[in-house]
Amino acid sequence: MRETIDIIDNGDGAFVANVTEETQGAAARVPEQPLGISHRPSPCRELFAAYKAQDKPAFIGYLPFGFPDPDLSLEAFRTMVDNGTDIVEIGLPYSDPVMDGPVIQAASQIALRNGERIADVFKAVETVANAGGVPLIMSYWNLIYHYGVERFTTDFANAGGAGLITPDLIPDEAGEWIEAADRHGLDRVFLVSPDSTNTRLRVVAENTRGFVYAAARMGVTGERATLNDSSQELVARTRAAGAENVCVGIGVSTPVQGATVGRYADGVIVGSALVHTLLDENGAVRDPVQGLGALANTTAALADAIHGCRA
Amino acid sequence: MSVLDELVAGALEDQRARERETSLEELKAQAATARTPIDAKRWLRRGDGIPVIAEIKRASPSKGHLSDIDDPAALAKEYEAGGASAISVLTEGRRFLGSLNDLDAVRAAVGIPVLRKDFITTDYQIWEARAHGADIVLLIVAALDDADLARLLALTHELGMTALVETHTRDEIERAIAAGARVIGINARNLKDLRVDVGKYCELADGLPDDVIKVAESGVFGAVELEDYARAGADAVLVGEGVATADDHRLAVERLVKAGAKVKASEEEPLSTHHGPYYGQFGGRYVPEALVTALDELERVYEDAKRDPEFHKELARLNQQYVGRPSPLTEAPRFAERLKERTGLDARVFLKREDLNHTGAHKINNAIGQALLVKRMGKTRVIAETGAGQHGVATATVCAMLGLKCRIYMGQIDARRQALNVARMRMLGAEVVEVTLGDRILKDAINEALRDWVTNVKDTHYLLGTVAGPHPFPEMVRDFQKVIGEEAKAQLKDWYGVDHPDAVCACVGGGSNAIGIMNAFLDDPRVNLYGYEAGGDGPESGRHAIRFAPGTGELGMFQGAKSYLLENSEGQTLDTYSISAGLDYASVGPEHAWLKDIGRVNYSWATDGEAMSAFKDLCETEGIIPAIESSHAVAGAYKAALDLKEKGYEHPVMIINISGRGDKDMNTAGKWFGYLTDEQSKALEANGAQGNNA
Repeated sequence: MRETIDIIDNGDGAFVANVTEETQGAAARVPEQPLGISHRPSPCRELFAAYKAQDKPAFIGYLPFGFPDPDLSLEAFRTMVDNGTDIVEIGLPYSDPVMDGPVIQAASQIALRNGERIADVFKAVETVANAGGVPLIMSYWNLIYHYGVERFTTDFANAGGAGLITPDLIPDEAGEWIEAADRHGLDRVFLVSPDSTNTRLRVVAENTRGFVYAAARMGVTGERATLNDSSQELVARTRAAGAENVCVGIGVSTPVQGATVGRYADGVIVGSALVHTLLDENGAVRDPVQGLGALANTTAALADAIHGCRA
Repeated sequence: MSVLDELVAGALEDQRARERETSLEELKAQAATARTPIDAKRWLRRGDGIPVIAEIKRASPSKGHLSDIDDPAALAKEYEAGGASAISVLTEGRRFLGSLNDLDAVRAAVGIPVLRKDFITTDYQIWEARAHGADIVLLIVAALDDADLARLLALTHELGMTALVETHTRDEIERAIAAGARVIGINARNLKDLRVDVGKYCELADGLPDDVIKVAESGVFGAVELEDYARAGADAVLVGEGVATADDHRLAVERLVKAGAKVKASEEEPLSTHHGPYYGQFGGRYVPEALVTALDELERVYEDAKRDPEFHKELARLNQQYVGRPSPLTEAPRFAERLKERTGLDARVFLKREDLNHTGAHKINNAIGQALLVKRMGKTRVIAETGAGQHGVATATVCAMLGLKCRIYMGQIDARRQALNVARMRMLGAEVVEVTLGDRILKDAINEALRDWVTNVKDTHYLLGTVAGPHPFPEMVRDFQKVIGEEAKAQLKDWYGVDHPDAVCACVGGGSNAIGIMNAFLDDPRVNLYGYEAGGDGPESGRHAIRFAPGTGELGMFQGAKSYLLENSEGQTLDTYSISAGLDYASVGPEHAWLKDIGRVNYSWATDGEAMSAFKDLCETEGIIPAIESSHAVAGAYKAALDLKEKGYEHPVMIINISGRGDKDMNTAGKWFGYLTDEQSKALEANGAQGNNA
């Protein structure tokens, strides 16, 4: 009876599937609820709820996967979580990263030269999850589109992934990703920038799950000596547009800057400054022991400053 | 007893219970006072979208409990607010936990058509649907014999309602049509993985009369399936779980409605006036959110300019007085003779002379148009990318003329091999930035220009040089370049008394000169269109810039648009190669990708060798030195001639677009043909007058 029931209304609109011996056989192999909406709670949202209760912002750290090489990069992700990173943004190196400044571009090229493979990124996801961090992947869209959106999200969810940050995918173009995220219960992090109109902020807020990524300034990733005032206003406008959680990144690099941003944002995102710890002053990869030590120190200092900034 | 039989029997039993309370006569009296039915057929097919029938659904036999719906009226209102065209209400109580009370509540709440979904086999159930205010009823062919189906359909129509007739096989579809069904629901689920099987849908829907409305009934969950069905020709979709169990019901419906509108708009004809952002499945705006405000502004200002006669007057004036338009259409009889020798085809050949424009190529057409828009936007700074230097020179030129600050990004490798053009741009007052990141070629120059734009978008316009990139660039650049084809069409008639060409040949890098000359002929099926990509050392060599040949480009998003793209197995952009720097690009304009997919343009390629040989042919026969880019179109003419011959043409008229002049390429050509000694080559290099990749 189970098989025959399965073919009745086995999805959405149609009432009765074709009732034949053959299709009954096929229906018996159908996996449970393959098309349903997952109501798994948003991992980022849960983290922010817990932190809000303690009145502290989250620390989100970025490193490209495969940098400096595939094995060391797993060490680096573990180091980040061990030293206080709450959410880890695992970058997928791309040949044409238009939102990234020189430091992350250089790191991505090093990773690609050292044999980074997209199929291996799920090891990094597992590493972060096992270490107790929330794993996000940040990727330019073509990489995921090429791998296959459904295939990528399945592999990612199976590895314990929480969500994707998509720097060159706006909600208007994200139909396939939104659907896949709904099916797998993944967070969707879209970006806003200081010159986004209120209409755009609403579009982003409405389609986001987890948190909105607010760019602290117009431009690409990279360290800056001073922080722009525009980000505080942007956070306020984004909240007013309906976003529950807003984190600030792009150009936040020092503990002092992190603490400043942490007073008004739900989370602080740091990228280039962490990448920098693994490079020497000539842009070459540092000795791994020194590099990981520097990464640990920088991460810990940022985590302390950010977590403690409202105390 | 099959499951369907069981459900039908259950529904009948429930009906008898209700019949004891309300007789058929009483029902008829109620039906007479019920709200007049809406003609749902008008709601289920439209030119600008894919109507969504959203379902109120609590449970199903296969999945059990789906959703608590305490207030079906409120849910229906959310669907309606999201843009649903009809609401489907399950009234079966045993397995689907629905009821006629749900139908009443929904009917009272919304103004759009309401579908009663149940296992209907009797007249009583039809009357009941009407008495409760339904506009549509579901009839399942598998549950009815021909006589019952015809009778129930006739009664439904008589009561002013619409029947959605559910089918699963070709045989059932034929039965439904024979019985008089006007709205057919097609269930085309692939039962193996429950995904939409568009192939099966097409097979089932194939040959249905045009006046029959086709509703895709199975497996529509989100935008992906809706798009698949819409592209396969479905008129409307029925969606259950995808909207009923969504966290935000209004938003879930709205996303589907938007996806449908997108598909409809993307296939809009006539081709020559097609609007972005989508060209079939291609195009779009795959950009950082930080650029959206600027792209919106650009689109708005451009739309505004298009409606402003003053803008067109100014553009026409500059085209005539500054660029030197119209560029001539030159007959090439001696080249035609050579074409005949090689191919046996006796063609008349005409050359569209974009090489005679100011700055020596078609690029100036677009640069002037966009520069006028920069003035309108009140921006003061222009950035642009350039490969061979032609677009950079054109941009620097118009910026000098209009007094705009100008910065040109150029890959370091390109800047070295085009030092003369670097000098020209600097002479014209532009700042030339050599890009030392990535592969240091055209695509890296574009990346760097995009980074500059993201940072300085407030006062800066990115003057993109081709029909690629995010919307509105592909449409806008096309509009500024289409003057090429419009002139050619008129000149052929006025100067030569020829009504229309039989063939048009152009080279395709990003594709702006090709779109420019083809646009005027896109909707004239008498004109065969041929586009030629840069074949480098040939498609198997791995050293080329062919995006369209089998085994070369794949679908991907690159620098703002979805199109064909040369990428490796990891999705990383591949290095491209061509003797012509202007065609050396990993992707191609989205409109070309669409024209390829719908078969309107024949795309092929010319190798370095073929292009250089054609370069020489044109020099020798006509005294015209074409750019190496344009030489790919000349080489293509030989291939097009063979195709025309095979199609049965005896004396065709062909136009070749000479998109630019070849002075810049003399060193490359000199080396290729051995006209220059090594010493002379070195002397040229010392003068900064290098050619391309030679």
